[in-house]
Amino acid sequence: MTKRGADASRFCFVDMVRFLRCYSYICFSMQLSVSGLMPVPLRERVEGRTSGLWLRDLVLQGDEYVFVKAPSGTGKTTLIHMLYGIRGDYEGAMQWDGQVMRSMNAGALAALRAGKLSVIFQDMRLFPELTAWENLEIKRQLTDTVDEATVKGWMQRLGIGNKSASRAATLSYGEQQRVAIIRALLQPFEWLLMDEPFSHLDNENKAKAAQLVLEVVKQRNAGLLLADLDDNNYFPYTQTIDL
Amino acid sequence: MKQAQKSMLKHLLLYGTGRGRLWAAIGALFVGNFLLLASVLIWWNFNELLYGKGEHGDAGSTYLVVGKQVTNTNVGLKGGTLFADADIAGLKQTPQVQEVGIITSNKFPVWAVLGGQVAMSTDLPLEGVPDKFLDQKPTDWDWKPGRRDVPIIMSTQFLGLYNYVFAPSQGLPQLSESSVKMIALRIKIGPEGRAETYSAHVVGFSDRINSVIAPQSFIDYGNERFAGQTAGAQPSQLILKVKDPSDRHFTDYLKEKGYSTNNENLRWSRIREIVEVVTTATGVLAVLLMGIGALVFILFIELTIARAHGSLLLLKEIGYGPGSLSGFMLGRFVPLIAGVVLASSGAITVLQYVAMRRAAESGLWLHTLPGLPVWVAMSASTAVLLLLVVRSVRAAIGK
Repeated sequence: MTKRGADASRFCFVDMVRFLRCYSYICFSMQLSVSGLMPVPLRERVEGRTSGLWLRDLVLQGDEYVFVKAPSGTGKTTLIHMLYGIRGDYEGAMQWDGQVMRSMNAGALAALRAGKLSVIFQDMRLFPELTAWENLEIKRQLTDTVDEATVKGWMQRLGIGNKSASRAATLSYGEQQRVAIIRALLQPFEWLLMDEPFSHLDNENKAKAAQLVLEVVKQRNAGLLLADLDDNNYFPYTQTIDL
Repeated sequence: MKQAQKSMLKHLLLYGTGRGRLWAAIGALFVGNFLLLASVLIWWNFNELLYGKGEHGDAGSTYLVVGKQVTNTNVGLKGGTLFADADIAGLKQTPQVQEVGIITSNKFPVWAVLGGQVAMSTDLPLEGVPDKFLDQKPTDWDWKPGRRDVPIIMSTQFLGLYNYVFAPSQGLPQLSESSVKMIALRIKIGPEGRAETYSAHVVGFSDRINSVIAPQSFIDYGNERFAGQTAGAQPSQLILKVKDPSDRHFTDYLKEKGYSTNNENLRWSRIREIVEVVTTATGVLAVLLMGIGALVFILFIELTIARAHGSLLLLKEIGYGPGSLSGFMLGRFVPLIAGVVLASSGAITVLQYVAMRRAAESGLWLHTLPGLPVWVAMSASTAVLLLLVVRSVRAAIGK
């Protein structure tokens, strides 16, 4: 094979790998697998009851819409934090696309959070000293996935367009929650984790927020996992798990 | 990282500690750094003054005139009291000896006649030494065959001997250095029948060499013309430039070789010991202060990071990597360190310039700018400080 021929074949191979990678991102989002998972602080409560997730083996494909129904005290927030890599006090194993969560270092975890996994925390977790707009910008500028005009449009849609310059600490819980929802959508992701994402919103705003989330999840070809207390129809779930 | 993003991170991570603490940390680091550089500067300046290789660097050196001891065993031997090439090479290799000069004595008769009111005549010993061993070289010191006037340098001890011992006992007037310089001498060299007459005058006085010195070229000319001795003949005396004449190895060497010397001067050695103690103490103190300055600065950084702990945690939770956050923090602190290093370098440069000017007023010569050891110390201390800061920031943010 001539040098040019070798270069050309290498080029084709590299291109093919890139194509397959992109294709896998588009068609096969990150897979979540858990095995024998049990949060250590909840051992007594978990062992005394039947759960659809704790201590079980489970695989969730990247295109699923999963609802985790969790009565109070069953570890809903703990689960979201474990899946997001904030907590490590559990037994069993958890993998995102075959990558063991517990073995990921801080850099790998940051890359996962910036590019593949997004979250809406129950307690919002905004920077109280920044304005609503700055809270969104500090996330948006990390990956530059969404342009400013789109963000402003989403703020208008959720009814917080006039709160851009207000410090997060001065916003109501409902307004903070809407900022937190938009912030979670300002990055590329393959899974969106939500912990009681609409708990502070009225029904009208819940519907608006859920509609926006669904649109973006569909755009990203991502999966979603929502943990909440009661049954709901915010999203067309493909699977419901009783925690 | 975009400017707006940096501005928000600055707001979140850096506004918690306050300007007062920032300036205190910068001040501590500056003082530590400046004192460290100043102590190296002091050490370097003394070193240059005492042991410098240049023409100005002989303040700490002592000049010794050495000869071989005249004993019953070597007195009858031909050349027994002369220095062979091997003897000179041996002296040059002695660590304390910086330079070796040959003292050439006259091998021809010299008869000096003093004219004027104080008329006297005497046989005169003359010696020649390389110009660089003179205390100071007079302007008209050079002599070439054909020149009828011979400049002479006289030992100050001779003048003292005349003024305080000889003149009072003989009822002669005492003479100042300037009046001696005005006295016209006539010298006659060579054996009767071939003698040559020159006018001579004293052009300077020497504290260093206890003899009457004529230009080397004049002594060489006389030795060759009247004694047939060419330059390079074995000398009977040497002049040594020595760092520390009291050094035990050096005195043992002289004793072992049977060399005698006219100088047991320990003065510079004592001063040097004091200087070394002072500079060492200053150095230790400066290193301690630099350590404290660095510690204060690092604690300030850790305090800043600790105060921003909540924001750092949340930034990591929304996808900011520890690497980029460390980079942002270092981007804030490294320019501060660079500023402190530049400021202390500038202050040290000014200090050296002022020291140079002040030293010049006292007749001492110092470099205008700080030398290599100061910059090496600055680079080393900066490198260590940067290493500590990078480790500290990474450890604090990576947690």
